[in-house]
Amino acid sequence: MIDEQKLEILTESAKYDVSCSSSGSKRANKPGGIGNASASGICHSFTPDGRCISLLKILMSNECIYDCEYCPNRRSADVPRARLTPDEICELVINFYKRNYIEGLFLSSAVFENPDKTMELLTETVAKLRNVYNFNGYIHLKGIPHADGAIVMKAARLADRMSYNVELPSERSLKLLAPQKTKQSLLLPMKSLDNAIEYDKQNKIRRGKVLPAGQTTQMIIGASPEPDGQILKLTEALYRNMNLKRVYYSSYVPVVQSSKLPTVGAGLLREHRLYQADWLIRFYGFDVNEICAEDENLSPDYDPKCAWALRNMHLFPLEINTAPLEMLLRVPGIGAKSAYRITEARRFAKLDFDNLAKMRIVLKRARHFITCKGKFFGSDSLAQVQTSLLLSGIKDNSEQLSMFSEPSTALSALTGEI
Amino acid sequence: MKIFITDGSPEGFFTAVFDAFNQKDATITSDTHVQLALDSEVIRVIPDAGKSGRVLRGIYNCDRYAAEEISLVLRSCDPLKEQIVFEYIKKLMQIKFPIRKRLSLSEVIRFNEISYKVTGETHRLKGLLRFMECAGGVLYAPYSPDNNITDLLMAHFAERLKSEKFVIHDLNRKIAGMYDGREWIMGYAGEADIYLSEQEKAFESLWKKYYKAVDIKERPHEKQMKRSMPVRYWKFLPEKN
Repeated sequence: MIDEQKLEILTESAKYDVSCSSSGSKRANKPGGIGNASASGICHSFTPDGRCISLLKILMSNECIYDCEYCPNRRSADVPRARLTPDEICELVINFYKRNYIEGLFLSSAVFENPDKTMELLTETVAKLRNVYNFNGYIHLKGIPHADGAIVMKAARLADRMSYNVELPSERSLKLLAPQKTKQSLLLPMKSLDNAIEYDKQNKIRRGKVLPAGQTTQMIIGASPEPDGQILKLTEALYRNMNLKRVYYSSYVPVVQSSKLPTVGAGLLREHRLYQADWLIRFYGFDVNEICAEDENLSPDYDPKCAWALRNMHLFPLEINTAPLEMLLRVPGIGAKSAYRITEARRFAKLDFDNLAKMRIVLKRARHFITCKGKFFGSDSLAQVQTSLLLSGIKDNSEQLSMFSEPSTALSALTGEI
Repeated sequence: MKIFITDGSPEGFFTAVFDAFNQKDATITSDTHVQLALDSEVIRVIPDAGKSGRVLRGIYNCDRYAAEEISLVLRSCDPLKEQIVFEYIKKLMQIKFPIRKRLSLSEVIRFNEISYKVTGETHRLKGLLRFMECAGGVLYAPYSPDNNITDLLMAHFAERLKSEKFVIHDLNRKIAGMYDGREWIMGYAGEADIYLSEQEKAFESLWKKYYKAVDIKERPHEKQMKRSMPVRYWKFLPEKN
C-alpha cells in the first residue's frame, strides 16, 4: 500500500489541474471486470473550495526536468519529491473505486528523465489498469509535450480522455514563462489525436475507439498580460480546429515568487466571466466577436450575455410565443433549459407571464427583453434597465466586524462603505 | 370530500385511482396522519390486481412511457405525491395523448418537479454512496436517502461492481439490496453487525488524506460545496467525519 506522505505530495502537486469531469464516455464493463463510465459523469465528493472530486487526481512523479516559472514543482524549486510505481497507482485506484470514492483516474506527471520515458511509464500504468486489473472506469491522461507520437497513440487507445495544457494564452508568454514547452510541442499532438478521433468517427468504429471522451486543455489566466478578447479568440480556434470538448481556465494564484510573475492573483470574477463567455460560444450560438473585441476585457459588472443585449437593444423586446430558439437563447436570464421549456410548452398553449413564472423561468433579468402575448413588464428606459441589471448582479459584501478585523475593513466600516 | 388511504404500495395506489376516478373531490394519500376536514369521509383501499391492471392499461393506451415516470414519482418522500400523480393521470386520461411536454399545465409542472427530485437524488447518491469492505470481502454501504431509491442504485452498482459482492442498506426504511456477484435482490434489513476488513481503516485514512490535500485553500467556497453536497448526506462520508 502506498505511503500517506507520498500521496499527499503528489496530490498537492496535481490539484491545480482544473479538469475533473468524468463525462462523455460510455465505456461498458467487461465480464469479471470492475467499473464502467457514465455518460453524464458522476461527482463523488466536494472539497471546501467548491470543486468536485470525480477522479483520483494524482501525479506519477513531481521530479521535473523543466523549469516553468509558475509551477511549484519546477526543477529549481526546493520541494519534497516523490514518485509512484504503476502498481502502487493501480492498487490505489482499484481500492478507491471499489469503495465508490472515485469515478476513475486522472493521471498526470512531471517530466522526469525525458519526455518519452515519462509518457511510456504513464502508458504502462494505464495499460496495466485496463489489462491486468480489468478496470473499465474512466481514465483521463495528461499528454507529455515532446513525447514520441507512437507512445501517445498507444495511450490514446486505452484512455477515455487526454489533455495537453496550452498553459498560457500566447506564444510570447509561453516562451517567457515555460521556455521548454513550445507551441508546436503542444498543438501538434493535439492535432494528431484529433485526426485519430476523426478517423474513427468517419469509419464508424465502435469498439476500442480512440479517446471516446475527446480532448481538453487548460490555460492560466492573469499570469501574463493577454486581454480576455485574445483568450476567447484562442479558445474559439481550439474548439473549431481541434474539436476540444472543453477549455479550462485557471485564475492565477501566486504560489511561486518570481520577478516574471505578478504578485497578485487574477481573481475569481475574471475566471467566472471567461467561463460564461465560453458557454455562450459553445451552447448559445454566439460568435466571439459579438462578445468581446480582441483587445478588450470582459465587463466585470455585467455577464457577457447581458452586456451583449445592452449593446443590441434594438433587437428587443422579443415576443416569447413566436421568437425563434436562437433568439430566445440570447435573452439574458433565459438559459438552454428555459429556452427548451418555452419552445416545448408554446406548441400547446400561448404563454403569459404567469405561465413563465410557474415554469420556473427566471424573469428578473429577462422581463426587460421579452413580451408575452404582446404585454411588456420591463423598464422603458435603457438607463433603468442597466441599473436594475447591475443591482441584480451585485453580491452582498457586508460582514460582521470582529475585534480582530483587518484595518482596511474597519476603516470602510467607519466611512460607511459596509 | 372523500379521502382514499392506501397502504403505500403501487398496486394499492392504482386501485385507489380506479375507485376515486369518477368521484368529485377525492384525494388519495398513503399518509396515515392526514389532517381530516369536518365533512371528510375516509375510505381504506384494499389493493386489487384487477382494478390496478385496468388503470395501468388505460395509462399505457394514452402514453407508453408514463407508467415508468409514475413509478419514479411514487418513490418520492413527498406527502402529496399520490395526489399529484392522481391529478396527472386524470389530465392524461382527459387529453388522451402524452402530456409530459405540455409544460405550462400545473399538473405537469408539479409532477415533473417531484420526478426531478427523485432522479436527482439517485444521480447524486451514485456519487455519494460509500462502501466499506467487510471481513469477508463483502462491500457494505449504509445510507438514509430522502426517497426510496435503493433498487435504482442496485441496478447501477451491479453493473459497475460486477464481480464484487455488496449490500446497500437504507437505514430509515429498513430495506437492503443485496448482490452476490450474479444477481441482486431486495429484502428487509433491520440492523447489521459489521466487521471491517484489515485494510479498510488504512484506505479510509488514505482517502481522508487525499481529500485534504486536493483542496485549494487559497480559494475557499464552502457555500458551493454545501450546495452540491448537502449536509444531510455527510453522516456517511468518511472524509467529512
